[in-house]
Amino acid sequence: MTGSIQRVVIVGGGTAGWLAAGLLAARRPDLSVTLIEAPDIPTIGVGEGTWPTMRETLASIGIAEEEFLRECDASFKQGSRFDGWVDGTAADSYLHPFTAPPPGDMRDLLAAWRASCPDAPFAAAMTPQAAACARDLAPRQRAMPPYAGALNYGYHLDAGKFAALLARHATTRMGVTRIAAEVTGVIAADNGDIAALTLRDQPALAGDLFLDCSGQAAILIGGHCDGGWIDRSDVSFNDRALAVQVPTARDAPIAAQTVGTAHAAGWLWDIALPTRRGIGCVYAARFMDEEAARAVLLDYVRTHVPGADADQLQPRQLIFRTGHRERFWDRNCLAIGLSAGFIEPLEASAIVLIELSLNALIENFPASRAAMTIHASRFNELFRYRWDRIVEFLKLHYALSRRSEPYWLAQRAPDTIPARLAEQLELWRDQPPSSWDFPRVDEIFSAASQQYVLYGMGWPAPPAAAPSPAAAARLVEVRERARALAAALPANRTYFTAAAAAAAPHERLVRT
Amino acid sequence: MSNHQILNPADHGTLRVHTGAGAQFGDTVMACLTVPLEFRAVQAHYPIVFRRDAASGQFSALAMFGFDNGENLFLEGDRWDARYRPLAMAIQPFLIGRPAAGSDTPQVHIDMSHPRIDHGGEGTRLFDEDARPTPYLETMAGRLGDLDHGYRQYPAFFAALERHDLLEPFTLDVPLDNGARHSLVGYHVIAEDRLAALDGGALGELQLEGQLLPIFMAVASLGRFADLVARKNARVALG
Repeated sequence: MTGSIQRVVIVGGGTAGWLAAGLLAARRPDLSVTLIEAPDIPTIGVGEGTWPTMRETLASIGIAEEEFLRECDASFKQGSRFDGWVDGTAADSYLHPFTAPPPGDMRDLLAAWRASCPDAPFAAAMTPQAAACARDLAPRQRAMPPYAGALNYGYHLDAGKFAALLARHATTRMGVTRIAAEVTGVIAADNGDIAALTLRDQPALAGDLFLDCSGQAAILIGGHCDGGWIDRSDVSFNDRALAVQVPTARDAPIAAQTVGTAHAAGWLWDIALPTRRGIGCVYAARFMDEEAARAVLLDYVRTHVPGADADQLQPRQLIFRTGHRERFWDRNCLAIGLSAGFIEPLEASAIVLIELSLNALIENFPASRAAMTIHASRFNELFRYRWDRIVEFLKLHYALSRRSEPYWLAQRAPDTIPARLAEQLELWRDQPPSSWDFPRVDEIFSAASQQYVLYGMGWPAPPAAAPSPAAAARLVEVRERARALAAALPANRTYFTAAAAAAAPHERLVRT
Repeated sequence: MSNHQILNPADHGTLRVHTGAGAQFGDTVMACLTVPLEFRAVQAHYPIVFRRDAASGQFSALAMFGFDNGENLFLEGDRWDARYRPLAMAIQPFLIGRPAAGSDTPQVHIDMSHPRIDHGGEGTRLFDEDARPTPYLETMAGRLGDLDHGYRQYPAFFAALERHDLLEPFTLDVPLDNGARHSLVGYHVIAEDRLAALDGGALGELQLEGQLLPIFMAVASLGRFADLVARKNARVALG
């Protein structure tokens, strides 16, 4: 045995496992990739919002955008809107869009915003995307090249269908081997690595690198390998969700962003697909019981989904513990997906973390067992950094609230605010968030994201001189671009209806 | 048939228009009208020739896209392969209207039967929710104004050409690589030798009227026939 890393074994066939299989097969065709999937394990189905990074991911796997949208019942996501987070009044709403503010000094842009259009929300002043989101418009026209848009966008998708599409693509077009079997144990190597997995009713499967994509079961990283666990529930309180899927009318508008609506002890997600809305009530068990959460959820459905029969819905409860591995990569086992960690889906960090993990793995793929130890340690350092930033960024959404329920007061208690976030908030009184605060390559939440939340929630702009003419001109450009895009982009519903009509003859051709 | 309406937000508030290129939008035409004020832009891509209307005896100027009816060699699927589209193409489905005979104020009309009119919710809106014209409509209105202005220059332009006898019949014989021949018959072009022979007084007069530049642009545009032939050969070669 030379110690070279050739055989990758992926355990788990959800979003994480099949994305891993697809990306590894596409970008490292020299490797042998095998995915073991226990029969009859449903995907958890909460990670249904992606970031714009998914466009590049899908393109590199070789899946056409049209096929992806059709097969996954997907829609376009242009950001997240937060309703009721500041004070819970009717007008309380702000947008965290995917398109960044105009280039230039943010302090200057803030001064221009204050001087020229103080009544416009921050996001509406900084990007034409706000106008598109407000009108439920698609970020692209059908005639545009695939994966390109007039505005930055990711997707909302059906996670079950997504895993199925990735599986089909990886096994039929990319040479990934799929084994349907339950993993029953680990055969250890002399050095303590995983040498092979024993499978029910099948021969053992040997490998050089094992990816634990088994979700919350974490059968390898929380089993033979010990990745440890760092609990983050001291900062991130929510530990329950009640989820439903509500069918929608064929002509109902399709929202252009995830909507997160605050309630007395948590928040609700609302993700619109062409055929249904996925709605969930996230809450903290020590501030709200299941019955109350169910009432919050069904009340939201009644008031926000026209025509829905809320009484017929059977919400599914998810219980989660917020935290992540101490070591995501231990020995020759790397945890990707929910096995690596879980936090409430407030900013859709689950799928992007999978993509970032896979990019880090593939671009630093260990050539040998000796190199693997170095890569593992670097990976662990990087993803510890990323998890810390996620925990802080999500906390920012709570830290700036002025709501007065016990839950919200507890969320703002100083001893629950991470020290780094507290320091940054101190600095952000004097200067806007910048790349000085977030200096790494592929920061998970860039300075632009922090700005959208900060100023969206009414944080005062730092003192500044009069705006420069250049900054004022930038904001005029944003307004003009918003007018032009509001006129040129189709409604999401129109886009998907037209795409379905265009695909129909082709479908018939294929099926006869 | 065409169905012209005066554009207004009450009737056309949510109307959308397809702005792309394509055969389905009526772009498969071999030529369109062009006006002297855009000759400089047109000659960078298209030959400019003149045609006399048999009934009225009036001349008009044409930008040429092909050699046969319905042939547009600049149209490649959903792409118009030139950086400039002549105004008469670019303003479709809009038209210039006059509220009443003798009135001088042009209005924006729209041809509701034009294939660029959208019926499925895609395309670009003309008015926003507050009934204000969108940037697209503002651009279109500007182009209509330019085109209207250009048409008004027609009489003076052609009067000058006829006064100096600067138009001559033109027949183009186009041998293609595959041995086939195409010919363009019935057009006029600027008579270059008579233009070259104009004396200083005549040239000065044309210059003062602003006709000299478009005349030379029309002369220069004939070099574009080589490009048009190359496009035709390329298309024939592709079958």
